[in-house]
Amino acid sequence: MAKDRSQSEDYLGPLKRLLTGVLVLCLIGLFIVWRIDSPRVERFRAQVVDKVVPSFDWMMAPVTGAVNLVRDFQSYQRIAEQNQELRRELQQMKAWKEAALQLEQENARLLDLNNVRLDPRLTYVTGVVLADSGSPFRQSVLLNVGARDGIVDGWATMDGIGLVGRISGVGNSTARVILLTDSSSHIPITLQPSGQQAIMVGDNTAAPLITFLENPDLVRAGDRVVTSGDGGVFPAGLLVGQMAEDPSGRQRVRLSADYERLKFLRVLRNQGTRTITDPGALIVPEGAPLDEALDALEAGPEFRTSDPDSIRRPQARPAPADAANPDSAEISEASQ
Amino acid sequence: MSDAAPTKLWVMQATYVALSLAVIFFQLLPLETTPRRWTGPDVVVLIGFAWALRRPDYLPAYLVAFVALMADLMFQRPPGLMAAIMVVATETLKRRSRLLRDQGFPVEWLTVASALLGVMLSYRLILSIMVVPHPPLGLTLIQLVMSVLCYPLIAALSHYLFGVRRVAPGEVDAWGHKL
Repeated sequence: MAKDRSQSEDYLGPLKRLLTGVLVLCLIGLFIVWRIDSPRVERFRAQVVDKVVPSFDWMMAPVTGAVNLVRDFQSYQRIAEQNQELRRELQQMKAWKEAALQLEQENARLLDLNNVRLDPRLTYVTGVVLADSGSPFRQSVLLNVGARDGIVDGWATMDGIGLVGRISGVGNSTARVILLTDSSSHIPITLQPSGQQAIMVGDNTAAPLITFLENPDLVRAGDRVVTSGDGGVFPAGLLVGQMAEDPSGRQRVRLSADYERLKFLRVLRNQGTRTITDPGALIVPEGAPLDEALDALEAGPEFRTSDPDSIRRPQARPAPADAANPDSAEISEASQ
Repeated sequence: MSDAAPTKLWVMQATYVALSLAVIFFQLLPLETTPRRWTGPDVVVLIGFAWALRRPDYLPAYLVAFVALMADLMFQRPPGLMAAIMVVATETLKRRSRLLRDQGFPVEWLTVASALLGVMLSYRLILSIMVVPHPPLGLTLIQLVMSVLCYPLIAALSHYLFGVRRVAPGEVDAWGHKL
């Protein structure tokens, strides 16, 4: 039987096998190109996602809504006890709200007294979560804002309260946010109030790990964790969460952002902080003497400007000397 | 008959693509944004395997490659690698399908399980050779076990819902060739 078939399709079999081989080689080639030149292929991926996912948007929203509705429905069983719990929490929150208001006023007064200038450039774009990564091995979400809205790779993303992740991969109308829980996420952080610097590393669990902590004795569970702004990765001082220790004694971060329901996310515009590279001029700002000298030359009546371009030779000699002694300038021109 | 058969073939091929894309779509829904401790089965792979064993002609290599590449791109996996492995695996299963035709379901299940194991091992092996960071082993093993356990379900759904049945002895394809 098998023989019959192979005879009847003698011409087709090898051709098919050859084409399949070519196909597999192409796919492996794509993988190797990705390994060598990852940014280019990732850009291609972002474009494909940008084309495909928004076209499903009309369907995604209702289906997600329906699934969430069913889930919420299940929780109606415990609604009475939940109600009690919420009332209790509300009471506590009212007390906190009072405290927060007073603190806010005090803070505003103190800032005013000290003439502190907050960074005015921390504005944000808000986007809606379109899709998640779809795979249990990756933690990321897709937002419906992209290059069209001025989103740039590397910007910080927050929900209302805490840091959520980092933009990585921007399409025209979509942008991917790598969440802090993803295993490729490494964020420089500061622990307060001790001021210890560390790196927060995602490891595919709900609470990322703190590594490179200089002195673990100075921190304790419950310390606030904020971004440190090191390396220009993020603006400094964004709230990340609180430190906690897991049963095996390792430091982890309990994230403030509500990862259970990421729906609206803020992308913080961050133009980057300027770095200071040179020590600055000691006596007068750089360039000033030359400008003054040129003014003096043009004002001086005894100086014949036969060839104005020749004056603007850069540093043939110190400009103030030219101004002090126009004769020498004439001589040097004549000697040319 | 000769008119209806090719249409049916195309319809089934389109069904395969649509079904796989639908599965990808449902996995993309933003329902789970917290990291999970367990995972479900890899349904896209399972559908491919079940159909390849039962009706090899519904599953040309280029369609498998297209579906797997889309999954690679959508799920943030290294593009192309899983697709290449999937094409090789389904082609192997297709060649195996004629021998399995007379065997019972347990043999088919075992074959699929070994293919899944092979896919998982080769995927991790190539990733570690190329020094690409790979997913945690625990999750991958859970996914493997879940996939093996869910295979009968997927096979039953393909059988009863989409009519992907094993080729009966003496059945011919659209061009009158024996299958």
